[in-house]
Amino acid sequence: MRNTFATYHPIIEFGFFCVVIVIGMFMIHPVFLAIGTSAAFVFAMLTGGKGSLKFTLCFLLPVILLVTVINPLVNHQGMTILFQLKYSYVTAEAVIYGLLMGLMLAAILLWFSSYNRVMTSDKFTYLFGRIMPSISLIFTMVMRFIPNYKIQIKKIADAQKAAGQQGEAKTRREKLHSGIKIISVMFTWALENSIDSADSMKSRGYGLKNRSTFSIYRFDRRDGLAAVFLAVMTIIVLIGCISGACHVDYFPEIVYAKAGPLQTASYIAFACICYFPVFIEVKEVLVWKHLESKI
Amino acid sequence: MGEHYLLISILIALLALIPFFVKFERRKVQARELVLLAVLIATAVVGRAAFFMLPNFKPILAIVIIAGVALGGESGFMVGAMAAFVSNFIFGQGPWTPFQMVAMGLVGFLAGILFKKYYAKADSFIGKRKLPLLIFGAVAVFFLYGGIVDIWTILAMTPHPTLATVVAVYGAAVYFNLVHAGATVIFLLLLAGPMLKKLRRVQIKYGIDNM
Repeated sequence: MRNTFATYHPIIEFGFFCVVIVIGMFMIHPVFLAIGTSAAFVFAMLTGGKGSLKFTLCFLLPVILLVTVINPLVNHQGMTILFQLKYSYVTAEAVIYGLLMGLMLAAILLWFSSYNRVMTSDKFTYLFGRIMPSISLIFTMVMRFIPNYKIQIKKIADAQKAAGQQGEAKTRREKLHSGIKIISVMFTWALENSIDSADSMKSRGYGLKNRSTFSIYRFDRRDGLAAVFLAVMTIIVLIGCISGACHVDYFPEIVYAKAGPLQTASYIAFACICYFPVFIEVKEVLVWKHLESKI
Repeated sequence: MGEHYLLISILIALLALIPFFVKFERRKVQARELVLLAVLIATAVVGRAAFFMLPNFKPILAIVIIAGVALGGESGFMVGAMAAFVSNFIFGQGPWTPFQMVAMGLVGFLAGILFKKYYAKADSFIGKRKLPLLIFGAVAVFFLYGGIVDIWTILAMTPHPTLATVVAVYGAAVYFNLVHAGATVIFLLLLAGPMLKKLRRVQIKYGIDNM
């Protein structure tokens, strides 16, 4: 899948996801949710393609529906009574609020599905390596161990099978015991190796002062521009949120804050943030087409 | 502010991780202990691959508890929190990640606080004191892990949680939590012995830690 956003500096990517997810959770507001959810969906489609569409249709739509239904059943605030149930009643405000909560949840899950594709583990290590050196080192080692261990588990299982230990594991009990045996063997192997790697680390100077770390990321002009742009837009949205220009009351009645320039500015700024990855993707495609047409 | 419970609870979960992480960083852990922790975390995450024939049977929390018993509360917390974090790199990060990290971390932490002293003292800790460990495993997984992890489900479903929602969500989760607790007990019963023995041997032989 095309993913120009993933070529930006990790700090931009991490900051972007923090901003859209936190503001998305904080602002339960129809316009904000419409912008956030649509942008999250488009971006997830760009990064994930068909998989994201399936995820949205098969998982997110039911979730939205579920939250929309559950809310009015447990929340009886609101003025407009839609209909009476046996022992309680359902209000229009609670239904709308439930729908918005469902959208919020969908937007966050969509953002996270893109996050998982953009923020790979190496970027995470790069970002937090300086703040948390030991923990990041553990994290890096674990990420390396996992594929190793999987291979080793496969090898042990094959060896057990060849020795006639595991081939006929049919009952759950037998399967359980063969799994325990495999894990136990793997653990012994892993412990032995771990001491070797620790000694090797130490003899190569782990923990000495003035050691530098290699990283493949650099913060260039494009990243600088993106950072300034996203920061300015975030500040506008924050001003809009904190000043109450985008405030909505849902209970007992739905009351919007009066429309004004600050409100419109917050909407536009939030759209600029949320659609930023989509925008750069489109720009990239257009530039490419343009260059192609020149050939 | 009622509508921001979910956001606030996620922030609280993240904040709860910070003191443990800061303390760990300040301790200037030796290379051998670091690698040992990484091995335990990777084993916890990868463990389920050994049980590919038995879906829903996850040894992750049992191994976190074993790590806590062998290495103490703080390291137990690290193993739990990191195991949750790393396994979500495979299964997908989401708003649930901080809750799982805190929940698993606390399970490992409590295991260390409660059982480390016996582990350090007795040679055959495993044979004699299995029952308390098993009971701890069941209770911790069912109440502590199940209880914390579902906070996010409750808050995601309804912004104004009522007693009815809480009961409904925990009620729906009882079956899964029971299976999880049962699996953890079985794993502790079968794995705690050999794994603790091996860990202890390596710890003594190579002089790792804080016994």
